[in-house]
Order: sequence, then structure tokens, then C-alpha cells
Amino acid sequence: MPANQPLWLRVVLRVERAVGEPIEAAVRSDTYFDLVSTTTRVRNKVGGAAEGVSRRCLHLLNLPAGSDIRRMRQQLARMERRLNQLSDDVAELDESEPRSGVR
Amino acid sequence: MNPRIPSTLNPGDLLQRLNRDVERSILRARNGVRYVRGTHRPDLGATPKDVVWKSGKAELWRYKGGDRRYSPPVVIVHSLVSRSYILDLRPGNSTIEYLTGAGLDVFMLDWGVPDELDADNDLERYVDWYLPRALAEVRRVSGHDEVTLAGYCLGGVIAALYAAGHEDARVRNLILMATPIDYTEMGAMVALLREGRLNPDEMVDETGNVPADALYSGFYMLAPTTEVAQKATLLENLWNDEFVEGFQAMATWSRDHVPFPGAAFRQLVELLVRQNILMTGSIPLGGRQVDLVNARGNVLNAMAERDNVVPPPAVEPVMTLVGDPARREELRLPGGHVTFGTGRSAFKHTMPKLTGWIIDHSDTS
Repeated sequence: MPANQPLWLRVVLRVERAVGEPIEAAVRSDTYFDLVSTTTRVRNKVGGAAEGVSRRCLHLLNLPAGSDIRRMRQQLARMERRLNQLSDDVAELDESEPRSGVR
Repeated sequence: MNPRIPSTLNPGDLLQRLNRDVERSILRARNGVRYVRGTHRPDLGATPKDVVWKSGKAELWRYKGGDRRYSPPVVIVHSLVSRSYILDLRPGNSTIEYLTGAGLDVFMLDWGVPDELDADNDLERYVDWYLPRALAEVRRVSGHDEVTLAGYCLGGVIAALYAAGHEDARVRNLILMATPIDYTEMGAMVALLREGRLNPDEMVDETGNVPADALYSGFYMLAPTTEVAQKATLLENLWNDEFVEGFQAMATWSRDHVPFPGAAFRQLVELLVRQNILMTGSIPLGGRQVDLVNARGNVLNAMAERDNVVPPPAVEPVMTLVGDPARREELRLPGGHVTFGTGRSAFKHTMPKLTGWIIDHSDTS
């Protein structure tokens, strides 16, 4: 800690370390890891359930839900990836010199 | 006694200090307003460059420098989880600028920002598809057959796998910067995945990738309170334009992660994290077995001693596993994970040592 730092800054930095070190130790503990995995699973489950309810409501009104749009985007992305792959394959065939000799 | 207050103060000194404090207060107020309003953004990744190759989101940049006095060209392979401008943070504080200024011909392979279209990108896509093609372009535009291949963080893994897995890899030098090999030493960052508490699919979102926010949270939780210390230091140095600009640049970068392509993430978790397969010295890739010992070129294993993202014990095994044992060298640098791009230590140690090593292993054009 440089000596020319003002007193208030030195105090803040000391307090930060005093508080920070136990927190850093806590976020490396099994309890924290369990908490994160449980939270993630609960969040995914609650999100999924809420989405299911809103999807059914929207479908009753004959409206597309966010999940429908998402599925469509995923299908479009799959198709675009396939097209890109095909165009890469064609470009590969057109190349006269071999690019890489994988071992 | 307060070291900032000299024992005797004459009126001249007092007036000078008063002037300085008033001046700093004005500058603090001005910079504080600018900071809060978000104006005066630092110029990130500003070294002039040409895009010489592009495929999907990946781009190969060639930096415009002065005199290119050394060959082979240096090709930097960036990580998959962060933005490459950390190596070209801002004018006057840039590894790229330093390298080009030393007379090296520098290229950067930047992976861009993955989206749905990149969800199927696996390690093979990077090692066997993008990288060979980008390097063919480097050879074409530079006129040199060999390259110095430098990988940063996960980019180092990609570079090492390429150098080991391609018979025709014309790699004169392989520089691995903070490149994780032993994933049991990666600490909290990967513990959740290693121990099976979380499955990769639980982290992948509807785009098929791991969202940038999840990666940011992972890095943030390594030291959640340091932001307080950083903000306090900023407040004290708010009068200093140079400090504020550097702070803003670094703060922007540290929040600016990119999504991790889902297929590569699943492979990373299964092979690298759970099986810790790189420690066996061999990894199945694209239907063949890649042995790290076959990596071509002189190997420089560069690590940062205070790196809490990729700690030195995770990097050290490069010295026993990658490349020809007679051609391995180790470079230990003071500083943290970003010492390869910015900071006082970068200027004092990292940039001169890395540049010196590259020049020592290059030819004069």
C-alpha cells in the first residue's frame, strides 16, 4: 500500500480486504457451489414453468409465444449453419492446393 | 505523523499545495461528471489495422506498423471468452502497439461475438478449420512460410493443439500466454463444472451458447469486493485524465465478455475439465489423437505469477507436456491475468520480455 495514499483511501482498502477475504473464501466453499447449482436449477425450472403457462395462454388466443419464435430462430440458425457448411465444402473442393495435412 | 504533511511548512509551499488541491478538485469535478455521464469513452483497440481474412465471425487483422524488420510474422490467437482489445487496450498502453513498434509484423485472429450460428462450433472447428485457413492467409499476405504463433488463455490451447495436430504447421515459435493445461488447478472458476454440480447444458441458453453474463458472473465472483477498492482508487485519482481513461478502458473490457459457443463449451467441460485430458499429453480431436509433445517450434510458456483466473500451477505443465523438451522455455511475469495486455507490470516486464524473446527467435528481414 503506497505511503502517499490519503488516510481515507487506506481505510477503505483495508476494510475492503477485511470484508473481501472471507467472501472470497466463502465463494470457493462447497456450500456456495451447492447454492449456485440449486439456484440455477430452480431458476431454470421456474422460468420453464412460467413460460409453459404463458405459452398456453398465448396459444389459446392463437398467438405465437416467445418459445415458438425461439424455436423458429433455432431452426433458421440450423439451416444457415448447414448452408454455410455446404458453401465451405464447395469452396474446399474448388481449392487447388491442400490446406492442411491433419495427422 | 501523517507522511503527507511535512514537519515544516512555509507559506510558499502552503500556497503551492493549496493551488494543486484546488486544481485537482476542479479536474475531479470535471472528470466525475464525464465518468457519470459516460462521455469521453476511451479509444479501445485503436491501433490501425486491415482485415485480411474473414470467415463466419472470425476475422484476421494485420496491424499497420512502422518498419517490419523481423520475420516470421507474429499471429496472436485470442481466447474464446473475452474481447481481443485487451491486447490493444488504448494508444500508449497496448501490447500490439509495442510489438509493431519493435518492428514485428503482427496479426490477430479475433473470433468475434458468437451467436446462434456458432453454437455448433467445436474445438475442431477452431483448431482444424479456422486456424489453418487464417494461417494460410498470413503466409500469403506476408510472404513468409513460417509464423510465430502466440495464444492467449484458451487461445493458447487452440494454438498448441494446432501446432501439435497439423503435420504441415509451419510454426517457428509457439508462445503460450496464461494457457491452462491442468484444470484441477483452475480453482473456483471451474469447480462447479468439474465436480458435476452443474452440467454444461444447464449453462447454455436458447442461442445454444453460454451467455456472456454467465461468464462475467464467474469472473466477478473470483473477487466480488474488489470493485469497491477500484472505485475508491478511482475517486482519489479522478483528477488524473490518464488514470481515468485507463480505468474506464479496463472496466469496459472486464465487463465485455462474449458468449461461449455451446459445442466447444461441452467439449471443454467433458474433456479438459472433467477428464483433465491435457495432463495426459494427448487429446482426441477430429477423429485422431493429438499428442502435445508433437507441437512444432520453440515453445515459450509465459505465465503471470498473480494470475487468479489461470493460476501458475495450471500453466506449469506446459513445460513437461508441450513440444520438444529441448526447445521449451518458461517466462514468469509479475502481475495478474491481464499483464499480457495492460498495467504497469506489462510495460515494465511483460512487453519487453515477450518482445525480446520473439526477436531473439526471429530473423532480420
